[in-house]
Amino acid sequence: MSAEIRNDVILATERIKAAPEVVFPYFTDPALIVRWIGSRAEVDPQPGGVFCLDFGEVVARGVYITVEPPSRVAFTWGIPGDDALPDGGSTVDVVLTRDGDDTVVVLTHRGLPATQLDNHRAGWEHRLAQLGAAAG
Amino acid sequence: MVHQQQSTPADPDAVLRALADPHRREILRLVQRAELPAGQIAANFSLTQQAVSQHLGVLKQAGLISERREGTRRLYSLRHEALEPVRLLLSEFWPDALGRLKTAVETADPRPPTRKS
Repeated sequence: MSAEIRNDVILATERIKAAPEVVFPYFTDPALIVRWIGSRAEVDPQPGGVFCLDFGEVVARGVYITVEPPSRVAFTWGIPGDDALPDGGSTVDVVLTRDGDDTVVVLTHRGLPATQLDNHRAGWEHRLAQLGAAAG
Repeated sequence: MVHQQQSTPADPDAVLRALADPHRREILRLVQRAELPAGQIAANFSLTQQAVSQHLGVLKQAGLISERREGTRRLYSLRHEALEPVRLLLSEFWPDALGRLKTAVETADPRPPTRKS
Protein backbone atom coordinates (compact mmCIF):
# COMPACT_ATOMS: atom_id res chain seq x y z
CA MET A 1 0.00 0.00 0.00
CA SER A 2 1.31 3.44 -0.75
CA ALA A 3 0.03 6.96 -1.05
CA GLU A 4 1.30 10.40 -1.76
CA ILE A 5 0.03 13.91 -2.21
CA ARG A 6 1.63 15.61 -5.14
CA ASN A 7 0.45 19.14 -5.74
CA ASP A 8 -3.30 18.74 -5.55
CA VAL A 9 -3.54 15.06 -6.41
CA ILE A 10 -3.80 12.20 -3.96
CA LEU A 11 -2.45 8.95 -5.34
CA ALA A 12 -3.04 5.64 -3.58
CA THR A 13 -2.19 2.14 -4.79
CA GLU A 14 -2.98 -1.35 -3.54
CA ARG A 15 -2.28 -4.86 -4.77
CA ILE A 16 -5.12 -7.34 -4.28
CA LYS A 17 -4.97 -11.11 -4.66
CA ALA A 18 -7.94 -11.44 -7.03
CA ALA A 19 -8.73 -10.79 -10.67
CA PRO A 20 -10.00 -7.36 -11.79
CA GLU A 21 -13.37 -9.01 -12.58
CA VAL A 22 -13.69 -9.85 -8.88
CA VAL A 23 -12.49 -6.45 -7.61
CA PHE A 24 -14.49 -4.24 -9.97
CA PRO A 25 -17.97 -4.88 -8.47
CA TYR A 26 -16.64 -3.51 -5.17
CA PHE A 27 -16.97 -0.10 -6.83
CA THR A 28 -20.43 -0.64 -8.31
CA ASP A 29 -22.44 -3.06 -6.16
CA PRO A 30 -23.84 -1.39 -2.99
CA ALA A 31 -23.64 -4.60 -0.96
CA LEU A 32 -19.95 -4.96 -1.82
CA ILE A 33 -19.09 -1.24 -1.56
CA VAL A 34 -20.15 -1.09 2.09
CA ARG A 35 -17.83 -3.98 2.90
CA TRP A 36 -14.91 -1.54 2.60
CA ILE A 37 -16.19 2.03 2.54
CA GLY A 38 -19.18 3.83 4.07
CA SER A 39 -22.08 2.35 5.99
CA ARG A 40 -24.68 2.71 3.24
CA ALA A 41 -24.31 3.10 -0.51
CA GLU A 42 -26.77 4.31 -3.10
CA VAL A 43 -25.36 3.92 -6.58
CA ASP A 44 -26.44 3.82 -10.19
CA PRO A 45 -23.26 2.59 -11.88
CA GLN A 46 -23.47 4.20 -15.28
CA PRO A 47 -22.03 7.50 -16.54
CA GLY A 48 -24.13 10.25 -14.95
CA GLY A 49 -25.59 7.84 -12.41
CA VAL A 50 -25.55 8.71 -8.72
CA PHE A 51 -22.71 7.66 -6.44
CA CYS A 52 -23.60 8.30 -2.81
CA LEU A 53 -21.87 6.98 0.30
CA ASP A 54 -23.24 7.47 3.79
CA PHE A 55 -20.52 7.51 6.45
CA GLY A 56 -22.93 8.27 9.29
CA GLU A 57 -22.03 11.87 10.11
CA VAL A 58 -20.81 12.69 6.63
CA VAL A 59 -22.24 11.87 3.22
CA ALA A 60 -20.10 11.82 0.11
CA ARG A 61 -22.09 12.43 -3.05
CA GLY A 62 -21.26 12.52 -6.72
CA VAL A 63 -21.91 10.83 -10.03
CA TYR A 64 -20.13 8.15 -11.99
CA ILE A 65 -18.12 9.53 -14.87
CA THR A 66 -16.63 6.32 -16.23
CA VAL A 67 -17.79 2.73 -15.73
CA GLU A 68 -15.66 0.35 -17.78
CA PRO A 69 -15.64 -3.11 -16.18
CA PRO A 70 -13.29 -4.54 -15.16
CA SER A 71 -10.58 -1.96 -15.65
CA ARG A 72 -11.70 1.57 -14.89
CA VAL A 73 -14.23 3.45 -12.82
CA ALA A 74 -14.32 7.17 -12.08
CA PHE A 75 -16.75 9.28 -10.09
CA THR A 76 -17.06 12.77 -8.71
CA TRP A 77 -16.87 13.29 -4.98
CA GLY A 78 -18.43 16.09 -2.97
CA ILE A 79 -19.49 16.57 0.63
CA PRO A 80 -22.88 18.31 0.82
CA GLY A 81 -22.99 20.63 3.81
CA ASP A 82 -24.95 23.76 4.60
CA ASP A 83 -23.91 24.93 1.19
CA ALA A 84 -22.87 21.93 -0.81
CA LEU A 85 -19.37 21.38 -1.95
CA PRO A 86 -20.42 20.97 -5.56
CA ASP A 87 -20.51 17.53 -7.09
CA GLY A 88 -17.68 17.53 -9.53
CA GLY A 89 -15.55 19.66 -7.25
CA SER A 90 -13.31 16.65 -6.93
CA THR A 91 -12.82 13.51 -8.97
CA VAL A 92 -11.81 9.98 -8.03
CA ASP A 93 -10.34 7.87 -10.81
CA VAL A 94 -9.67 4.17 -10.26
CA VAL A 95 -7.70 1.98 -12.66
CA LEU A 96 -7.58 -1.80 -12.15
CA THR A 97 -4.67 -3.53 -13.86
CA ARG A 98 -4.24 -7.28 -14.04
CA ASP A 99 -0.83 -8.49 -12.87
CA GLY A 100 -0.62 -12.28 -12.93
CA ASP A 101 -3.34 -13.50 -10.57
CA ASP A 102 -3.47 -10.12 -8.83
CA THR A 103 -5.03 -6.75 -9.46
CA VAL A 104 -3.13 -3.54 -8.94
CA VAL A 105 -5.52 -0.75 -7.96
CA VAL A 106 -4.36 2.79 -8.66
CA LEU A 107 -6.63 5.50 -7.29
CA THR A 108 -6.17 9.21 -7.91
CA HIS A 109 -8.26 11.88 -6.23
CA ARG A 110 -8.04 15.31 -7.83
CA GLY A 111 -9.46 18.71 -7.06
CA LEU A 112 -10.06 18.59 -3.31
CA PRO A 113 -10.81 21.98 -1.81
CA ALA A 114 -8.20 21.80 0.93
CA THR A 115 -5.48 21.18 -1.59
CA GLN A 116 -6.82 23.73 -4.05
CA LEU A 117 -6.29 26.74 -1.88
CA ASP A 118 -2.83 27.57 -3.09
CA ASN A 119 -4.14 27.74 -6.62
CA HIS A 120 -5.88 30.55 -8.32
CA ARG A 121 -9.58 30.33 -9.03
CA ALA A 122 -8.64 29.33 -12.57
CA GLY A 123 -7.51 26.03 -11.11
CA TRP A 124 -11.08 25.17 -10.16
CA GLU A 125 -12.49 26.27 -13.47
CA HIS A 126 -9.85 24.33 -15.34
CA ARG A 127 -10.70 21.25 -13.32
CA LEU A 128 -14.43 21.64 -13.90
CA ALA A 129 -13.76 22.04 -17.61
CA GLN A 130 -11.70 18.84 -17.52
CA LEU A 131 -14.53 17.14 -15.70
CA GLY A 132 -17.04 18.37 -18.27
CA ALA A 133 -14.82 17.06 -21.06
CA ALA A 134 -14.51 13.71 -19.29
CA ALA A 135 -18.25 13.51 -18.69
CA GLY A 136 -19.05 14.54 -22.25
CA MET B 1 -22.37 35.90 14.96
CA VAL B 2 -18.63 36.39 15.20
CA HIS B 3 -16.99 34.03 17.61
CA GLN B 4 -14.77 35.92 19.97
CA GLN B 5 -12.67 33.17 21.45
CA GLN B 6 -9.17 32.52 20.23
CA SER B 7 -8.73 29.93 17.49
CA THR B 8 -8.23 26.41 18.77
CA PRO B 9 -5.99 23.87 17.03
CA ALA B 10 -7.57 22.86 13.73
CA ASP B 11 -10.07 20.01 14.00
CA PRO B 12 -10.14 18.25 10.61
CA ASP B 13 -13.94 17.87 10.72
CA ALA B 14 -14.45 21.55 11.49
CA VAL B 15 -11.96 22.49 8.78
CA LEU B 16 -13.71 20.29 6.22
CA ARG B 17 -17.10 21.73 7.14
CA ALA B 18 -15.70 25.24 6.90
CA LEU B 19 -14.24 24.49 3.48
CA ALA B 20 -17.52 23.06 2.18
CA ASP B 21 -18.79 26.48 1.15
CA PRO B 22 -17.80 28.44 -1.96
CA HIS B 23 -17.96 31.83 -0.23
CA ARG B 24 -15.68 30.71 2.55
CA ARG B 25 -13.20 29.23 0.07
CA GLU B 26 -13.23 32.58 -1.75
CA ILE B 27 -12.57 34.41 1.53
CA LEU B 28 -9.59 32.12 2.14
CA ARG B 29 -8.24 32.92 -1.32
CA LEU B 30 -8.53 36.63 -0.55
CA VAL B 31 -6.66 36.42 2.73
CA GLN B 32 -4.06 33.82 1.80
CA ARG B 33 -1.41 36.38 0.86
CA ALA B 34 -2.57 39.60 2.47
CA GLU B 35 -4.09 40.49 5.80
CA LEU B 36 -7.41 42.20 5.08
CA PRO B 37 -10.04 44.08 7.09
CA ALA B 38 -13.57 42.64 7.16
CA GLY B 39 -14.94 45.53 5.12
CA GLN B 40 -12.52 44.95 2.29
CA ILE B 41 -13.34 41.23 2.30
CA ALA B 42 -17.07 41.98 2.21
CA ALA B 43 -16.57 44.34 -0.75
CA ASN B 44 -15.73 41.28 -2.87
CA PHE B 45 -19.15 39.71 -2.32
CA SER B 46 -22.79 40.53 -2.94
CA LEU B 47 -23.48 39.19 0.54
CA THR B 48 -24.51 41.34 3.49
CA GLN B 49 -21.80 42.37 5.91
CA GLN B 50 -23.53 40.20 8.48
CA ALA B 51 -23.33 37.12 6.24
CA VAL B 52 -19.64 37.77 5.63
CA SER B 53 -19.13 38.14 9.39
CA GLN B 54 -20.79 34.76 9.90
CA HIS B 55 -18.48 33.14 7.36
CA LEU B 56 -15.46 34.77 9.02
CA GLY B 57 -16.70 33.38 12.34
CA VAL B 58 -16.90 29.83 10.95
CA LEU B 59 -13.43 30.12 9.42
CA LYS B 60 -11.99 31.50 12.64
CA GLN B 61 -13.70 28.82 14.71
CA ALA B 62 -12.18 26.16 12.45
CA GLY B 63 -8.78 27.76 12.95
CA LEU B 64 -8.43 28.58 9.26
CA ILE B 65 -7.99 32.31 9.75
CA SER B 66 -6.54 34.48 12.47
CA GLU B 67 -8.02 37.77 13.59
CA ARG B 68 -5.96 40.76 14.71
CA ARG B 69 -7.29 44.06 15.99
CA GLU B 70 -5.74 47.27 14.81
CA GLY B 71 -7.56 50.24 16.32
CA THR B 72 -11.22 49.74 15.47
CA ARG B 73 -10.45 47.44 12.55
CA ARG B 74 -10.23 43.67 12.59
CA LEU B 75 -7.73 42.19 10.19
CA TYR B 76 -7.93 38.62 8.93
CA SER B 77 -5.31 36.35 7.43
CA LEU B 78 -5.06 32.67 6.46
CA ARG B 79 -3.46 30.25 8.92
CA HIS B 80 -1.72 27.99 6.43
CA GLU B 81 -0.85 25.48 9.14
CA ALA B 82 -4.57 24.81 9.74
CA LEU B 83 -4.74 23.01 6.41
CA GLU B 84 -2.07 20.52 7.35
CA PRO B 85 -4.31 18.14 9.40
CA VAL B 86 -6.76 18.04 6.50
CA ARG B 87 -4.00 17.24 4.05
CA LEU B 88 -2.86 14.45 6.34
CA LEU B 89 -6.41 13.19 6.82
CA LEU B 90 -6.96 13.09 3.09
CA SER B 91 -3.62 11.44 2.52
CA GLU B 92 -4.65 8.63 4.89
CA PHE B 93 -8.25 8.23 3.80
CA TRP B 94 -7.79 6.37 0.51
CA PRO B 95 -4.88 4.15 1.54
CA ASP B 96 -6.92 3.10 4.60
CA ALA B 97 -9.98 2.47 2.41
CA LEU B 98 -7.99 0.47 -0.17
CA GLY B 99 -6.49 -1.56 2.66
CA ARG B 100 -10.04 -2.47 3.73
CA LEU B 101 -10.93 -3.23 0.10
CA LYS B 102 -8.00 -5.65 -0.10
CA THR B 103 -9.15 -7.38 3.08
CA ALA B 104 -12.78 -7.50 1.92
CA VAL B 105 -11.91 -9.00 -1.46
CA GLU B 106 -9.33 -11.47 -0.21
CA THR B 107 -11.53 -12.77 2.60
CA ALA B 108 -14.74 -12.81 0.55
CA ASP B 109 -16.84 -15.84 -0.16
CA PRO B 110 -15.48 -17.09 -3.52
CA ARG B 111 -18.99 -17.32 -4.97
CA PRO B 112 -19.62 -14.54 -7.45
CA PRO B 113 -21.61 -11.66 -5.97
CA THR B 114 -25.29 -11.60 -6.74
CA ARG B 115 -26.05 -8.52 -8.72
CA LYS B 116 -29.07 -6.54 -7.72
CA SER B 117 -31.26 -5.36 -10.53
